[in-house]
Amino acid sequence: MTLTIDYDFRKQIRSYNASLDYCFQCSTCTGICPVAQLTNGDFNPRKLIEASLLGLKDMLIEEPKVWYCLTCQKCVELCPQKVELTEIFDVIKNYCVKEGKIPEAFNSQAISVLETGVALPFSDPIMKRRRQLGLEDYKTVDPKEIKTLLKSIGFDKLLRFDTPTTDKKEGGK
Amino acid sequence: MPFIESSAKKVFEKLDIKMTNMENASCCPDPTGFPAVDQTAWLTLGARNLSLVENKKDDIISLCSGCVETLKMVNHTLGEDPAKMEEVNNNLAKIDKKLNGKVVVKHAGQLLYENLDVLKSKIVKSLKGLKVAVHYGCHFLSPSEIIQWDNPFEPTTVDEIVRALGAESLDYDSRLQCCGNPLLKTDKDLAYDLLYKKLSDMKNAGINCITVVCPSCFLQFDYQQRAVNKKYGTEFKFPVLYLTELVALALGFNDKELGLKFHGIKPKKMLQELNIISNE
Repeated sequence: MTLTIDYDFRKQIRSYNASLDYCFQCSTCTGICPVAQLTNGDFNPRKLIEASLLGLKDMLIEEPKVWYCLTCQKCVELCPQKVELTEIFDVIKNYCVKEGKIPEAFNSQAISVLETGVALPFSDPIMKRRRQLGLEDYKTVDPKEIKTLLKSIGFDKLLRFDTPTTDKKEGGK
Repeated sequence: MPFIESSAKKVFEKLDIKMTNMENASCCPDPTGFPAVDQTAWLTLGARNLSLVENKKDDIISLCSGCVETLKMVNHTLGEDPAKMEEVNNNLAKIDKKLNGKVVVKHAGQLLYENLDVLKSKIVKSLKGLKVAVHYGCHFLSPSEIIQWDNPFEPTTVDEIVRALGAESLDYDSRLQCCGNPLLKTDKDLAYDLLYKKLSDMKNAGINCITVVCPSCFLQFDYQQRAVNKKYGTEFKFPVLYLTELVALALGFNDKELGLKFHGIKPKKMLQELNIISNE
């Protein structure tokens, strides 16, 4: 595999989050990372930061590893250089999305927020259960307002509407 | 999960803390899935939610650690970065909204802790016999510079509440580890592996129930124990109680009033055996 160094990509990550520059590759992040432990280092936050510092855009965007971050923030708590890893990973994920590489579960949740204003809409069974438990009816946002707002900043252009959006991730009771 | 909301409403009524629903709110949106798609959209929706209460001078109390983190992060990020605040307000102008400054955002667990003395004076039923594994979860604590609440590596606040109710809070190995819920979106097997580790450590510590302060963690523990059992051939069946449900039991509410039968793993039998609720 040829590695292409993309200085512009590195510059752009830094412009969103300058803390990238502080990393001195001590690997404290990887040491505390529960996903690094589970995957025997296959997911390795230090390496993702290294690749960002080197501007290895193709490597970061072609391989979906960055999506394995739990955002548990343990690395951020312990980083001696105060590198904001989870926010830097978000910047990288945002680039993946711009290149059309959005994992389906993230896509379907984003579509739900765009269309209804919430990730898990207040379905009839939920409203019924609320009444059973003596909770008053609740007025969520007018979906039109959120759609107008998100469309005005081009959020809809980031999503893929061609894929099925049946996200039954957790069967929310 | 209306049962969580219902328990919180009952508890805060007993503590004479006035709550109103925050109408016209959208998703916070969540701090894991949404900023991954577009950070600016995340900040903008969060700022819109904050702007809804700014003029009313209310505080925002949330039962969800993710919502709390998002809204605190939005407060923090926009407060530190005037250019970003201007960009977000330009976005909000399209729907005639504006955010000026900061809104106080608190987790319901924090509010309970701050009112612990009043809470203690209202307890009518000791939760003696409950051996609780407290799961703090990630976003209740971190990033601590922004959340500014408990110690992220040695948290005590939820344990103190649990003990005040007469229950035991037991230590276990992976106490501070993530429940694994966000990985359901990327790799379900890994999400189950993380949960398996936590459940095994809890079992080894001799617990009989789990307490959480986040609906996302609740779903992971209550609904995914079955998936873990299937994958690992284990027989975990720990009831999961959201913190305000536990408090509500100590304040004298019963399982029916709290809708505990709507949980995946029903706590009723265990609560009856421990005489926390009656056998009727």
